[in-house]
Amino acid sequence: MNLGGVLFLGRRYLGRNRVKTSLLVAAFTLVWLLPAGIALVVGKVESQLRARAEGTPLLLGQAGSPLELVFNGLYFTKPAIATLPYGETEAIVESGLGMVIPLYARYTAANHRIVGTTLDYFDFRHLTIREGRGLIDLGECVVGSEVAATNGIAPGDAVISTPETLFDLAGVYPLKMRVVGVLAASGTPDDGAIFVDLKTAWIIEGLGHGHEEAEKLGDGAKLVNPSGFGDDAVRLNASVVQYNEVTEENADDFHFHGEIADNPVSAAIVIPGDAKSQALLKGRYAKAGGLQLVSPEAEMDELFATVFSVQDLVLRLLGAIGFATLAIGALVFLLSNRLRREEFRHLRLLGADPGTLRALIAFEAGFVLVTSLVLAGLGLLVLQGIAPMLVRQLLG
Amino acid sequence: MIRCQQLRFAYAGDAFELRIEAFAVAAGEAVALVGPSGCGKTTLMNLISALLVPASGSVVVDGVEVSRFPLAARQQFRLGTIGLVPQSFELLDYLTIRENILLPFRLGAGAGVDGRSRARCEELADKAGIATHLERYPEQLSQGERQRAALCRGLVTAAPLILADEPTGNLDPENQDRIVSLLLEEARGIGATVVMITHDPVLLPRFDRVVDVLALRKGGRG
Repeated sequence: MNLGGVLFLGRRYLGRNRVKTSLLVAAFTLVWLLPAGIALVVGKVESQLRARAEGTPLLLGQAGSPLELVFNGLYFTKPAIATLPYGETEAIVESGLGMVIPLYARYTAANHRIVGTTLDYFDFRHLTIREGRGLIDLGECVVGSEVAATNGIAPGDAVISTPETLFDLAGVYPLKMRVVGVLAASGTPDDGAIFVDLKTAWIIEGLGHGHEEAEKLGDGAKLVNPSGFGDDAVRLNASVVQYNEVTEENADDFHFHGEIADNPVSAAIVIPGDAKSQALLKGRYAKAGGLQLVSPEAEMDELFATVFSVQDLVLRLLGAIGFATLAIGALVFLLSNRLRREEFRHLRLLGADPGTLRALIAFEAGFVLVTSLVLAGLGLLVLQGIAPMLVRQLLG
Repeated sequence: MIRCQQLRFAYAGDAFELRIEAFAVAAGEAVALVGPSGCGKTTLMNLISALLVPASGSVVVDGVEVSRFPLAARQQFRLGTIGLVPQSFELLDYLTIRENILLPFRLGAGAGVDGRSRARCEELADKAGIATHLERYPEQLSQGERQRAALCRGLVTAAPLILADEPTGNLDPENQDRIVSLLLEEARGIGATVVMITHDPVLLPRFDRVVDVLALRKGGRG
């Protein structure tokens, strides 16, 4: 057997029939890559979701879909879920049954979720500041590593919240927030979030605002004949410009109307003091109408039970399709070799021994198989690399 | 060069049987094999080239009994001793004409294609009038050009025995003459023995000897 001759003939045959070869390689690559890729992505999604869920004991939220609550509270997606009053979180703290970290994840800036929370959140998630400092004042924000990287943001820069509806004059005005710190990468959804104090999030919501003191304004800024108000009230008209940024100079002019306890949070992480407290809390919210206290881990178990049964079905289907593709590929080889029978006969006539011919066929089939396996492997490596991004996109 | 004695061969499940008492070709001789279709011309040629193994009798080529060769030795014998020119060109469509001509060097266990073989390829292509087609593929050539390329491949190894199975069968008279002229001239040039099957009486005077295979089978000697 002349190995050089086999390689030469095989290479030339595959090169001359590159369309057929490419199609076979592409089909075989998909046969290997699709099931492995799906398993890899699902595995990544599962490990990411589970790691976060396992690190979060309980999540309090408004009654509704527990899964949406988990996604909002843990991954900052599903911003439109019903909110619960902040006072509910204070009630748990006052009961002494556990610690509560409120979250308000509704608005965005530069396509990243703004998460209003308290300083406890950073300790709870073991988040450290890579650059700059943590939150101290109203109107400040700390950005995740990915936000900083993709937007080229560093401490000293500013981000502006995105208005929900651009043409709604009565809607929420954008707030310019000073970036005071960048978090170290954690490989979690925190990397893609912008963290602000809960009160800053409420300012974005329009529940708090800042403007010049009414007493210092001229009559032009006041409403004439304000009906329906008390005589001692000063009412201002639309000419009063509201501050769209909290600065050292105007920070004292920011204030909230109404009760803080009534302000919304989208979810609250509840860390029970002990097992008994956990049982008491679960019992309390099982009975309480309008609110729900869920275990993210249990929700993930339920979610992945469904996901895995679907994945199992998909993999079975892909297995069947893969088998059919391989069978068709084998048929293509057999038919192709049948068509080449004369060629092989002539090669034998010229002096090629049967081993050389077998090696030639094996080389051509092996090339398609090995190339498709290598391409599938490379595809898996690429998938592995972009899996975190895919996971984030899948999570919405 | 070739000596066949008491040769007997039959295809499995076929009534045809080739029996040849004696057939010999001297070294450097050019012999034309003639006879009606199905009389056993190609079978005899395949026995000489050790593609077929006789049921009995012997085929001796260049002093070696090839009919007793094991398989691997037969392949090696064909590569080293025989230059083959088939009727239907048998050029590989995925190789260029140059690659097709040099193919025997790639199939052997020897040194492969080197400068000498390349030079020989170009010399033959030049003589066959296909020097400008060396980088083309068989489908881009006419029938006559393809047969000339096949002939070049049969001659490129300068084998001492050239077996040509109706190489002019599909060609017009001009190309027939060109092919036979090139074949015989080159064979004479290297002192090779030629055995060629043909149906064309016009070509027979060009050979040293004409052997009727049908007559051989009837007990004649050739």
